[in-house]
Amino acid sequence: MKLFADSASSFIADRPDAAARHLAWSAFEAEGLPVTSDEVWRYAPLGDLSLDRFRVAREPDRFADSPFASELCSRAGLVVRVVDGFCVDAGTAPDGVVVESVDSPRSLNGDTLLARYASDTFALMNAALAPASTVIRVAPGVVVDQPIVVLNVTNATSSFPRTMIELGRGASATVVEYYEGGAEALVVPLSEYAIGDNASLQLITYQRLASSAWHVARTTGFLHRDARLRQAVIGMGGHYDRSRNDAEMLETGSENELRTTFLGSGSQVHDFRTHQFHKAGRSRSTLLSKGAVADDSRSVYTGLIEIEKGAKRTDARQTNHNLLLSPSAHADSVPNLDIRENDVMCAHASSVGPLNELQRWYLESRGVSRDEAERLMIQGFFNEMLTTLPAELAQLVEADVTSILATVRVVTP
Amino acid sequence: MTSTLKIEGLRVEVAGKEVLRGFDLTMHSGEVHVIMGPNGSGKSTLAHALTGHPGYKVLDGSVTIDGVELLTLSPTERARHGLLLALQQPLEVPGVRPLDLLVAAGADPTNLRDRMRAEAERVELRPDVLDRFVNVDLSGGERKRAEMIQLAILRPKFAVLDEIDSGLDVDALGAVARRLSMATTEWDCGVLAITHFRRLLNELTPTMIHVVSGGRVVATGGPELSEILERDGYEPFRTPQS
Repeated sequence: MKLFADSASSFIADRPDAAARHLAWSAFEAEGLPVTSDEVWRYAPLGDLSLDRFRVAREPDRFADSPFASELCSRAGLVVRVVDGFCVDAGTAPDGVVVESVDSPRSLNGDTLLARYASDTFALMNAALAPASTVIRVAPGVVVDQPIVVLNVTNATSSFPRTMIELGRGASATVVEYYEGGAEALVVPLSEYAIGDNASLQLITYQRLASSAWHVARTTGFLHRDARLRQAVIGMGGHYDRSRNDAEMLETGSENELRTTFLGSGSQVHDFRTHQFHKAGRSRSTLLSKGAVADDSRSVYTGLIEIEKGAKRTDARQTNHNLLLSPSAHADSVPNLDIRENDVMCAHASSVGPLNELQRWYLESRGVSRDEAERLMIQGFFNEMLTTLPAELAQLVEADVTSILATVRVVTP
Repeated sequence: MTSTLKIEGLRVEVAGKEVLRGFDLTMHSGEVHVIMGPNGSGKSTLAHALTGHPGYKVLDGSVTIDGVELLTLSPTERARHGLLLALQQPLEVPGVRPLDLLVAAGADPTNLRDRMRAEAERVELRPDVLDRFVNVDLSGGERKRAEMIQLAILRPKFAVLDEIDSGLDVDALGAVARRLSMATTEWDCGVLAITHFRRLLNELTPTMIHVVSGGRVVATGGPELSEILERDGYEPFRTPQS
């Protein structure tokens, strides 16, 4: 991986915090790329991943908003544009909101990124190679009415966007992180969300990269007392789409609702991982993961609910449903529980199968054609993910999903 | 134009057992026919077989609307030929909105939302239900009222209602029955209502009552039949089981 490594070291050498980046890069090199004999990378087409196809961008490439991006931005109160990981336009933030590009090696939990992501090779890459952290801060008590859109475009052969969102006590905001571009590129986003006491963040991550992209993303929510994080993650693009979404319920009364979904077609692999970590009592997590795989695509869902000793009266629920739209598509579902406290409510359910025949018949018996019924039902998977979004955004994303679905072939057994 | 729904010699098998064993019935637009019978007599099988439910196997017979054979058609085509089934327990379809369902079913999208709202009012259903996914998190009564909205928008020639009174309180039953009653004059809808309770007849005046036992019609008559049922139950109508 000499060519990629050379571009990385010349990029790092020019950065003001080169020392911290060198440490992260060394840790990445020591960790190395994963191998499929490692269980958590078992399904990744790692044989296709040669880093020398990629270079680290030294500056953002030119860009123009796609039609969808323009529509999305027209519905936003604030648009932050990030190109190839560089924040090129911080927009005009409303009162109580600050957007800045910060060269910092720190995680929102106080650790260095290096310490926090010590064994995560791709997160370490981001720690070394993200041009900066794009930080969005909402002051205590501020309620941001209009959605904030973070438009992430990848034009270069690699990008390492890093987004940090902080909500002060009692603040509330809706943020859309949107990813597009990335043809033949490596896209490695790292996002963190710190949600203060009684603050509420509604978040949607919509990944719409090219089908040739390698996408390896990781997000973490840090939830304080009575904080709420409602997160929806939608994965459409990518040759390999890996999305790890964690939430740490640090203090009592915190609440995380996570909905993840994906649509696989062609030979895509969608690899979704979640970790709901209950460190304090009376915390709640609800996880709904639904995905559909068509053609020769495959998916993996691996979710861990972890409940710390002493986190009494925690309520954690995890549901995973996978839809097989072709006989050669494949879905794996691996729910895990690690519970060290007795006084908790915990439930999980998972299923893998074709479209529900009775639901389809019900639609048909109203006069809906079989094709339309199947499309409505698959679209329904995604619509369910968007129920908490403001209607004008939900409609836009739904329409976009519809246009993608129109290109997917459904083969029923 | 008067339409005719004709069921002749219908034999249907469920899970290897013949449940309908030569069922005959003819009805016309604007009429209300009520099928009554004890549990296990084949009433629900009739409803499901008419709309092509997977799991119901037609062995023999014919079902036509104005001479067009329905049994060889897909469920979609049967609906498009004017047959609509309202289920005993309308299914939940998560993620699908009632409006999208109706558009996909061929409803005219012009002012559709407004028309749905107006229909919701007529069956006393909270309009916010229209924004929920089809039947998801609705009570039994709300689901049946919601199906009346589908009916009113799609305006089938014939509506088949399977156990429409099960799980309904008196208010909901009244609302549903009144809506059906109006449908018979509004667009001359033929109503085929399946029930094993008599109370439905207080709200929906039947043209004909058919008593079903052992998978076939054993008696047909006017409203006076229900009085016999009231007095003597189904016993006089029972046929020996094979």
